[in-house]
Amino acid sequence: MMWRKSITLRLTLLFVATSATVLVALGTVIGQAVEAHFEEQDLAEINSKLEIARHTIAKVRAPAEMDAIPQHLGDALIGHHGLSVAVLASGNRTIFATPGADFLKELIATRSKEAGEERSRPLVWESGERAYRGITMSVPFGTGAESPFTVAVALDISHHREFMISFRKTLWIFVAFAILLTGFLGWFAARRGLAPVRNIAQVAKGISATRLGDRLPHESVPAELADLAASFNDMLGRLEDSFRRLSDFSSDLAHELRTPVSNLMTQTHVALSRPRSAEEYREILYSNIEEYDRLARMIADMLFLAKADNDLIVPHRENIDLATEVDELIGFYEALADEQGVRVSRIGIGSISGDRLMIRRAISNLLSNAIRHTPRGGAIKVEVRDLGNDGVRIAVENPGQAIPPEHLRRLFDRFYRVDACRQRIGEGAGLGLAITKSIVEAHGGAISVSAERDTVRFEISMGMTG
Amino acid sequence: MKILIIEDETKTGNYLKQGLTEAGFVADIARDGMDGAHLALTEAYDLVVLDVMLPGMDGWRVLQEIRRAGRDLPVLFLTARDHVDDRVKGLELGADDYLVKPFAFSELLARVRTLLRRGKTTEADVLRAADLELDLRRRRVTRSGKRIDLTAKEFALLELLLRRQGEVLPRSLIASQVWDMNFDSDTNVIEVAVRRLRSKVDDEFEPKLIKTVRGMGYVLETQESP
Repeated sequence: MMWRKSITLRLTLLFVATSATVLVALGTVIGQAVEAHFEEQDLAEINSKLEIARHTIAKVRAPAEMDAIPQHLGDALIGHHGLSVAVLASGNRTIFATPGADFLKELIATRSKEAGEERSRPLVWESGERAYRGITMSVPFGTGAESPFTVAVALDISHHREFMISFRKTLWIFVAFAILLTGFLGWFAARRGLAPVRNIAQVAKGISATRLGDRLPHESVPAELADLAASFNDMLGRLEDSFRRLSDFSSDLAHELRTPVSNLMTQTHVALSRPRSAEEYREILYSNIEEYDRLARMIADMLFLAKADNDLIVPHRENIDLATEVDELIGFYEALADEQGVRVSRIGIGSISGDRLMIRRAISNLLSNAIRHTPRGGAIKVEVRDLGNDGVRIAVENPGQAIPPEHLRRLFDRFYRVDACRQRIGEGAGLGLAITKSIVEAHGGAISVSAERDTVRFEISMGMTG
Repeated sequence: MKILIIEDETKTGNYLKQGLTEAGFVADIARDGMDGAHLALTEAYDLVVLDVMLPGMDGWRVLQEIRRAGRDLPVLFLTARDHVDDRVKGLELGADDYLVKPFAFSELLARVRTLLRRGKTTEADVLRAADLELDLRRRRVTRSGKRIDLTAKEFALLELLLRRQGEVLPRSLIASQVWDMNFDSDTNVIEVAVRRLRSKVDDEFEPKLIKTVRGMGYVLETQESP
């Protein structure tokens, strides 16, 4: 199974990583600062003692006064716990040493081998179980005659060490706790912060076909999620719209099918209710076949529209000379138009890349619609116009009753009829214009209708480039 | 003429058989693909009406079997799914024509006759029915020796009716053959066109030749139908 990335987990880990970095750095800095502070303190102490030793030795002007050095030093250094001082004359002769300061002699011995600076850098070393920090220094006499003494001062820093160890331990325990705590707080914050997302999910969960009207509350969504919420609401809107159209369509369909089926049933029932002559039976079958025809055609049209809705109509492209097509269609409708006392004419030329059969069907539907609605003596004009880069425009214009604007908008809806009462005598099921629209749209074009006073004009634009 | 119907739907199969038999063909029926392919390859048929959706071996396989065996008898396939893919597939596999269910029986009959006639058209210069004559070469129509003026489309329509005398031609077939309108145009264009032709060819003469078969189409025949 794939491990799904959780934003909460991600945020928590980020919090932990950030706080860990900061706290560890802080801990290290604090540790070093404390240690530096101790070192400074130690060195101040050591230097002050060195100063005392230097003064004492510098006061010696005659060899006889040399014997007084231990006495002076002893007085000055008494009572300083943990402080070891050793003063050596040349040849490692001990002039003075505090108790237990023997180890200093060894140190001086190693130091004196090194290049003879006057004063060594502060040293840290271990002796036995204890740790010391110290400095060695050569101190000349006031006389300047004899070789200088070497003075070593060391401070027992074991207690500092121990303090540092326990301090560091405490510090790191705190750091660890702090990291855990920020992790937990981070997790908590992330969860709280992501609560709006869960709210969205909650709303989404509640949405079903019957409750497509629900929307995410726009005001209560944080700014960062506003876009998401808006897109989500838009999507819901589109879904609701298609769903509504689909269910309208289904109920229209059911209604449209009900009429012929009910005709068929009634007719057949009545026919069978008593014996009839062969002529009568034949009559009924004829009538039935007309209904069946209508049903079959409706099913075929519905299928076409259903496919168009699902983008399954893929026009087979070829170059079509629209003038020829329109003329052939006019030829097809000629007899019918003539019968109705209507003239049909074409002006203009143009060509287009498209599916010949479909384009024919689209224009045919417009023509048949126009012929149906043109009063006797009227003239239908078909205009083909090449608009260059704007493609081709095909306009079918017919005189006729003005169509109110509220109907105009819905003319391309399935099963829509301007006059609800006008039944289907010699008229299609009300799918013709819807099919034309689907075909035009499958070709990437657009269709529109306008009505002015007593003229109705359908316009198809196709083949726009760019 | 022997026709094999391969169709698993009982009712459809039976009606196809009855209809074709009554139209003067000998019709056999196979209820599944295996039987169908077997019959088509062992018996001598002039045409196969093949349903695509069959249990066991589907229509495409049957069609492939027939073509693989090198038999070029015409195959008309029936499909309930009006998918372009289906049509293309069928025609690519070597079918000769197709019909989408539901279809009018008269349409099927007309297609069957077209397929059977294919390649056997007698190139007569003059088509006749009773005292009606249509001269293809001079593009002239006479009845009882009287010249009749027809428009180009009326001429084409009459030619079609004459060539297929005695056959009921559905409106969709007429629209397709005369005007090249290969879609259902739900207007009564054909009705008007036939009425006009009739007024020129039949109105002043006896017997009436062009007849309307209600709900099915038009037929040109010389004797009264029983």
